[in-house]
Amino acid sequence: MNFELTHDQKVLQSAVRDFVENEIKPIAAKIDEDHMIPDELVAHMAEMGFLGSYFPEEYGGAGLDMFSYAILIEEISRGCASSGVLVSAHTSLCANPIYAFGTEEQKKQWLPDLLTGKKIGCFLLTEPDAGSDAGGTVTTYRIEGDEVVINGAKNFITNGGYLGTGIVLASFDRSLKHKGISAFIVDLTSPGVIMLKNEKKMGIRGSYTTAFALDNVRVPLKNLLGQEGKGFSIAMDTLDGGRIGIASQALGIAEGAFERSVAYSKERKQFGQTISSFQAIQFKLADMYARIESSKLLIYKAAWLKDNKKKFSLESALCKLHASETANEVTHEAIQIHGGYGYIADYEIERMYRDARITEIYEGTSEIQRIVIAKQLLG
Amino acid sequence: MNILVCIKQVPDMESHFRPNGTATWFDESNLAFRMNEYDEYAVEEAVRLKEQLGGNPEITVLSIGPDRVIEVIKKALAMGCDRAVHIQDPDVASKDSWQIASIIAAYARGRQFDLIFTGMQSQDRGSAQVGVLAAELLGFPSVTTLVGFAYADGVVTATRELEGGVKGKVRLRTPALVTCQLGLNAPRYPTLPNIMKAKKKEIATFQPGELSSEPPLTGSTAFRHHEKKGSGVVIEGDIAELVEKVIVILKEKTAVLR
Ligand SMILES: Cc1cc2nc3c(=O)[nH]c(=O)nc-3n(C[C@H](O)[C@H](O)[C@H](O)COP(=O)(O)OP(=O)(O)OC[C@H]3O[C@@H](n4cnc5c(N)ncnc54)[C@H](O)[C@@H]3O)c2cc1C
Repeated sequence: MNFELTHDQKVLQSAVRDFVENEIKPIAAKIDEDHMIPDELVAHMAEMGFLGSYFPEEYGGAGLDMFSYAILIEEISRGCASSGVLVSAHTSLCANPIYAFGTEEQKKQWLPDLLTGKKIGCFLLTEPDAGSDAGGTVTTYRIEGDEVVINGAKNFITNGGYLGTGIVLASFDRSLKHKGISAFIVDLTSPGVIMLKNEKKMGIRGSYTTAFALDNVRVPLKNLLGQEGKGFSIAMDTLDGGRIGIASQALGIAEGAFERSVAYSKERKQFGQTISSFQAIQFKLADMYARIESSKLLIYKAAWLKDNKKKFSLESALCKLHASETANEVTHEAIQIHGGYGYIADYEIERMYRDARITEIYEGTSEIQRIVIAKQLLG
Repeated sequence: MNILVCIKQVPDMESHFRPNGTATWFDESNLAFRMNEYDEYAVEEAVRLKEQLGGNPEITVLSIGPDRVIEVIKKALAMGCDRAVHIQDPDVASKDSWQIASIIAAYARGRQFDLIFTGMQSQDRGSAQVGVLAAELLGFPSVTTLVGFAYADGVVTATRELEGGVKGKVRLRTPALVTCQLGLNAPRYPTLPNIMKAKKKEIATFQPGELSSEPPLTGSTAFRHHEKKGSGVVIEGDIAELVEKVIVILKEKTAVLR
């Protein structure tokens, strides 16, 4: 067992960190204010290879492993959680299922544009009436010749606003519940894909969260991903990997808030001394750090299991649960350490606090993570 | 064309430095390390020259130090250097500029390098001697503190930064050595695909003793923090008075308003 990053992982970590320090951090507040990530930044991240990280070079990827991907999302999110989730949803929820379940032809058709950032990917599972209960999908499809016709509604779709490539989950027979669901690769510029709105949100404001109506969307039957009726299990498998990404995003947010808290506590003076000399503040920092380090170990373990082709769904739920709750506690305490200044937008802790909240909700709420974990523990 | 770039790994300058056991250098434990800033300009300029010449020159990157310097070597490879030389020396911090330059010159001698790029100085030791000493040892012309670089037909045209914002131009024939200064270029970020490609590039290793066993010419005798000066001056009064007082202080204590 070895708890040190390899030379290559350290090179990657410092390269991404430098990029984030110089290119992302300075505009993170503006991204939040403008409710969008500038196109130039998305293009620059694509150029850096961030959008193809762990897929093979033959499809346009960078050929990294999952472990390095976790570091990538962590480092981006340390500077800007909206940019972190753009990369995470694109990679884990769209490119990954195509890579894992697609035919060679599908991979060749869809992956190069995704991995080089010509298209931004998203995952269309959630519906107004099917959130945690994803098996309750009411979006339906029927087959007409060599086409599939999809009808329904999807909401809360991260990256939807880019109208790139989507993985759409739809049912051919709602009475079959999750056994009736199939997954399709859909070009979101297709006729009938109606973008209703990008939601206004509490946090990760730079990330699009999009509502769609699907009105007789015609998709070639060859875009079926995996077999008919296997969509639900593809979605669950996809989310297992995605949770490592979201856990890494949460970890990055927590680390960003923690670093600022340490620095601030050493500068801020009250009662003639720095606030870091008060044990009350020291204990907060110690607790924050303990949570951050334990989240990191859980994430690295889940990524390591995936890299070594071992079962990792328990560990991915564990790391997502723990890291997301950590991000919320750490940003909460970070505001406390900053006092009134923490509540003021200029200090950015306030944004991190808002950004952290979503990590306990998407890709399975904390309640759902506990269900997943308990199920595996109890058999 | 054959290019050599010499790089050093230094602590992050925002680290908290503590003297080591003998109080002759800093304690390296718990420090984060990165590529010496000036060496990044050197790597970048070499890679740009390679691009300018249609990819023909081969760039070798060299670093002396313990195992951890592989990280900066790999970064340079990911930025576009072709191959690397790691001179494995856990004791590098105790060597003076003469010894380091002697090792570099011994490696470079007979290997037909046309151009050697180094940083102007290291951020930690700051001697600014290694590049020029190596050039002397090799019998190469050299020019320091480059803020501009051009190459054509065996001639380097270097723009140097002089005092007071004045710039000078120097021409020299290859083989030559140049040392690079802030302002020369904006180093590229290594991209993820290039970090992966760098994994396959060769890193040759040497022991310092195989190359040179020159004794040091200088020795570091003490490393300590400045003694704490008294606390700052607090000036009081209305704005006009404050400005007056600040101007007096600036005139008397600094060169800003001379
Ligand atoms: C910003 C944002 C981005 C998103 N991105 C995407 C995306 O890209 N793609 C996508 O498909 N979806 C996305 N989602 C949807 C997200 O995954 C869902 O919101 C989430 O799964 C919860 O579903 P819900 O909102 O319908 O809440 P509900 O399922 O209605 O849950 C409400 C509450 O009930 C609890 N609950 C539900 N069922 C149980 C149970 N069995 N036991 C105990 N408690 C339970 C929940 O934990 C929660 O506390 C996104 C959501 C947001 C807000």
